[in-house]
Amino acid sequence: MTLGLDLGYLERSARGEFDLGWLRDTGAEWGVRAEPSKNGLTLRDIAIGSYGEIPEHAPLRTMAPRGSDVEFGVPDMGYTINDRSEVWADNVLDLYEEAVSRQWSATRDIPWADLVPLDPDVEHAMCQLATVLSEVEMVAADFPAKWLWRINHDFVEAKMFLCTQVMDEARHTEVFRKRALANGGGLGRATAVVERFLQLILDAESYDEGSALMHLLGEGIVLSLFRAGAALAPSPVEQKIFRLCMQDEARHVAYGTMHLRYRLAADPSVAEDFHTYLDQGEEIIAMIFATPEIVEPTAILAAGGLAQACELGTAAGDVLRHQIIGDYLKRCAHAGLDRRGRLHLPDALIDGVPGARVEEAV
Amino acid sequence: MGAIEAPFPSSAWFVELVSLATADPAELEHLGIADLRFGVDVLQANGTDQFFGLVLDGFDIHVVGPTAEESFGPDVVVSGPVEAWLDMVAWIEENGPADSAHSLNGLTIAGVPLLARSDDAMGSDKFYRFMGTIQAVFDAAGAPAPTAVTA
Repeated sequence: MTLGLDLGYLERSARGEFDLGWLRDTGAEWGVRAEPSKNGLTLRDIAIGSYGEIPEHAPLRTMAPRGSDVEFGVPDMGYTINDRSEVWADNVLDLYEEAVSRQWSATRDIPWADLVPLDPDVEHAMCQLATVLSEVEMVAADFPAKWLWRINHDFVEAKMFLCTQVMDEARHTEVFRKRALANGGGLGRATAVVERFLQLILDAESYDEGSALMHLLGEGIVLSLFRAGAALAPSPVEQKIFRLCMQDEARHVAYGTMHLRYRLAADPSVAEDFHTYLDQGEEIIAMIFATPEIVEPTAILAAGGLAQACELGTAAGDVLRHQIIGDYLKRCAHAGLDRRGRLHLPDALIDGVPGARVEEAV
Repeated sequence: MGAIEAPFPSSAWFVELVSLATADPAELEHLGIADLRFGVDVLQANGTDQFFGLVLDGFDIHVVGPTAEESFGPDVVVSGPVEAWLDMVAWIEENGPADSAHSLNGLTIAGVPLLARSDDAMGSDKFYRFMGTIQAVFDAAGAPAPTAVTA
């Protein structure tokens, strides 16, 4: 269709001869009235009538709001994700509301003025960890951003949630960059092995692949790191940073888990594809578990100093590793993907992790 | 000494706690909406336990209990000996908001002295998603006791 300016319409409408087709010939549900619930007018409140019906396969590839009357001749936006199961999760409406409600400011909500001088080794460890986290968090913005424009607008709630993730990750990158620079330490070292994992996510050939690697595997690990960071924080400043980031990250992981569950329920035949994606990811994760720039700062923060860490070794890190792998297996199980006996992690990393082997319960 | 007069653990203690935590609605609203059924399982030396529930629903918080865990249907339960709970409460009453070591996160991360358990991954992830709110509730135990007004 060629778009052309209708000069005749300009003249007719100037005389009050309106078209009014938009007013009279509608298929919309005139009279629909969404009622606010106790927290305000939520996405769930407006998921009513035909507006709440999300198609399994989007019939058009336009930006027209789902449920609107779509004029003939609207352009094809070229979306490549047109099946609901490719991006949907049953909790996505609630996660969006939660994300919007629980936003925070890295400038205003962190009591930066309360930072205290730390032992230089502890400060260095905190700065190294902040460097890694500032590095890895932005991929969790880049990946959704890369795929957002490919997702059909009929699944707008999922797109909106991914937009909140982009904002969350920007804030995480910001807050850890600020922490590295705020107490006399500065940025530490970025490593090739971490970058390889980020590249795997960014270069994923499908949303399925990238989401499994990022939402489920990568963010699950970072969530455990945040939890550990909050528990090991040398001051209330770091405690608040890690706690707030943990809350955000857990939302993303909750989406990833429930998305995989939805995907597998819709098409169980893709399970083997997901196993293959995670096989690859875990091989790099195994290397990250042996990366000094991650293992050692964590050990120093857990022990409270370098000398103490050298005495304790990686005892605290072992607790963290067990939690990371245990939580990951539980999430996979909840999604319907049994990774027991399939983990691409060496025995040295999974020994002692409850449920890691196929004969054990998750 | 904090403002709560009722003994821990008791329904009255949790009711007073929630009353303090919700005294300034703006503070809770700043933390955002929450959706969590949080179980508190207090294990006594004689082998019995007392179970209480906190329901975080939007900006509202409700106390349930003492009750049975099965009937409450928690997303996550934090369980541990009464001494560990009392130590946590006493520290908060003495010092104000919990530091890392005395927070629910810090006390549960290694599984001792408190254990966070859930039936599935979504329950434990909800604990992480609403950690700031549930901690703010327990931090309210550190609210100062009201002082007597003198003429």
